[in-house]
Amino acid sequence: MSRPDRYTCEETFRRLDDYLDRALGSAERALVEAHLATCEACASEYRFERGVLDTVRDRLAHLEVPASLKEKVRRALDSAREGER
Amino acid sequence: MDGAAGRLDELLDPVLAPAYAFALSLARNQADAEDLVQEAALLATRHFATYEQGSNFRSWFLRIVLNVFRGRLRTARRRPVPVELGDAPELFLYGKAAELGLLGSHPDPAAAILGRIDGETVTAAIAALPEGYREVAALAFVEELSYPEIAAMLGIPVGTVRSRLHRARHRLQQLLWSHAVERGLVATAVPEPTA
Repeated sequence: MSRPDRYTCEETFRRLDDYLDRALGSAERALVEAHLATCEACASEYRFERGVLDTVRDRLAHLEVPASLKEKVRRALDSAREGER
Repeated sequence: MDGAAGRLDELLDPVLAPAYAFALSLARNQADAEDLVQEAALLATRHFATYEQGSNFRSWFLRIVLNVFRGRLRTARRRPVPVELGDAPELFLYGKAAELGLLGSHPDPAAAILGRIDGETVTAAIAALPEGYREVAALAFVEELSYPEIAAMLGIPVGTVRSRLHRARHRLQQLLWSHAVERGLVATAVPEPTA
């Protein structure tokens, strides 16, 4: 059976999660990208999903460590070291 | 402070933030998240000799956080077996953007919906996922690990990671929406046209 030389919208959509997770092989990735380059409806969905994922990761990356946690960790390290002496 | 202790301090300082984000995504509240990281720091001090110098300390420390979390689940006599998540609708927030008339009219519809969301809202949404899904989502979103890396860390098949992460992401969109609406962080009505 020959490999497809292009993906339909449905075939692209089925691979969107894996594409977002950078989990597709190079051949599938190229076919998804070729479809996204020519289909504005699918590209719009992809851009939106990418935006949601980037926002989630950005917010997690910028979460501030509470001062109370820093203090707890400092105390934990101090007490562990005291116990070793 | 001796050399090893000083070295641990140096390594620990930059990973506290991701460790806290990871713990908050697992533990469902700030106090429990802080306790998880505190206990992990204590264990890291005791077992620092087992850390292979030059290897990925962040990964080593987050594994300790994960093990502490799992240990507490066992202590509470709760098995860390995931509840079935069911099929959450795909493109949930995209549908909301369409309802709000943001598609086509806004340069960045995702930002228009989630722009005001904060880190606590995101961790609360991840923490609301069932066990199993929560661990996979936290490792994928906080650590940006690949499917095989998550599978190795959790001791589950790659295919399970993949299906759980896909389902978790779809459900997460529903949870983000409801948390954000609850906190007044998103507009829930179609914006009035400007005169």
